[in-house]
Amino acid sequence: MKASSFKRLKAALLCSLVAVFGYAVTGTVESAPAPKKSGDQSAAAAPAPKKETAASATRIDPKDPSSVIYLDTQGRPAGIGDPSKPASQAFKAGMGWHPQALSAAGLPKDKYGLVDWAKLVRQNIISPKASLDPEEEEIPPLKMDVVITAKGDYVSDVIYPHEMHTYWLKCDVCHPSIFVPAKGSNDMTMVGIVQGQWCGRCHGKVAFPLTDCNKCHSAPKKASK
Amino acid sequence: MKRCLSIFILIVAVPAAAGAASIGDIRLDSKIESMKKAGVGPVIYPHALHEKLYKCNDCHPKIFKDKRGTNNMSMKMNMDGKFCGAADCHNSPNAFPLFNCVKCHTNVGVKVK
Repeated sequence: MKASSFKRLKAALLCSLVAVFGYAVTGTVESAPAPKKSGDQSAAAAPAPKKETAASATRIDPKDPSSVIYLDTQGRPAGIGDPSKPASQAFKAGMGWHPQALSAAGLPKDKYGLVDWAKLVRQNIISPKASLDPEEEEIPPLKMDVVITAKGDYVSDVIYPHEMHTYWLKCDVCHPSIFVPAKGSNDMTMVGIVQGQWCGRCHGKVAFPLTDCNKCHSAPKKASK
Repeated sequence: MKRCLSIFILIVAVPAAAGAASIGDIRLDSKIESMKKAGVGPVIYPHALHEKLYKCNDCHPKIFKDKRGTNNMSMKMNMDGKFCGAADCHNSPNAFPLFNCVKCHTNVGVKVK
């Protein structure tokens, strides 16, 4: 009887130690007190993820403005910075976008105040991994401009740069489901794009919106008066 | 004296009243051939709607010349910040953007060839 109660006391002590350690690292209360009530089984499982959080916490320097991007809406580290874990882990844990952090991170903006992702790529401000699979090789960007003739006589033609689009996207993201990979075989219309077809699959959703016509319609027609 | 007054009314009051009268819708189809190629119909411009929102001299004569047919408008000009696409109008958050084809053009998507 005495020996078992000593064992229980020991387990409880270990649990509280783990809880205090976890509290000190993450500054959260909701996850920490859980192992206190439950028995010896959960005590063994608890310390492992806590250690990872500690490692990511030390990597983020709060004084460095560019590190704000790694914090969630409550100012806690978003994600654990572990490439072997799926990217949605932070999202599953209730962490989302942090608009203030995005603006404080000093990312370049276009004239509409939106993040200029193309500039981010060109200036090497962020360099995301090619794939979650470490063995997958990155395909170099395809340097191929496609002239898409505007149907009207006055509107400037579109010069579509494959290069900018293939930094982060693979060929089969767009081909052949969104665009048939043969010139002239996609009967694109501006109305369709506005309604979310072709370019509108991304532009206006995750890529820059359609507001600035001349960003794409950049090659004036020679015949236009 | 009466004659003087009637002349005054003729000269000043009548043109003013005519100017103040609602103009209604204006059909813009001078570039109809190009519009057909692009698969859109002519624009029906609701002048009356704009009259309610703005004063005459907000647009005339700086952005649009008063006389009909003298503004050589095209979609390219709008995109370049002229006419409808002027900086404070349909190229700004004040009004719906230019890419919303169906808001101005009629018969959008109808193929005429």
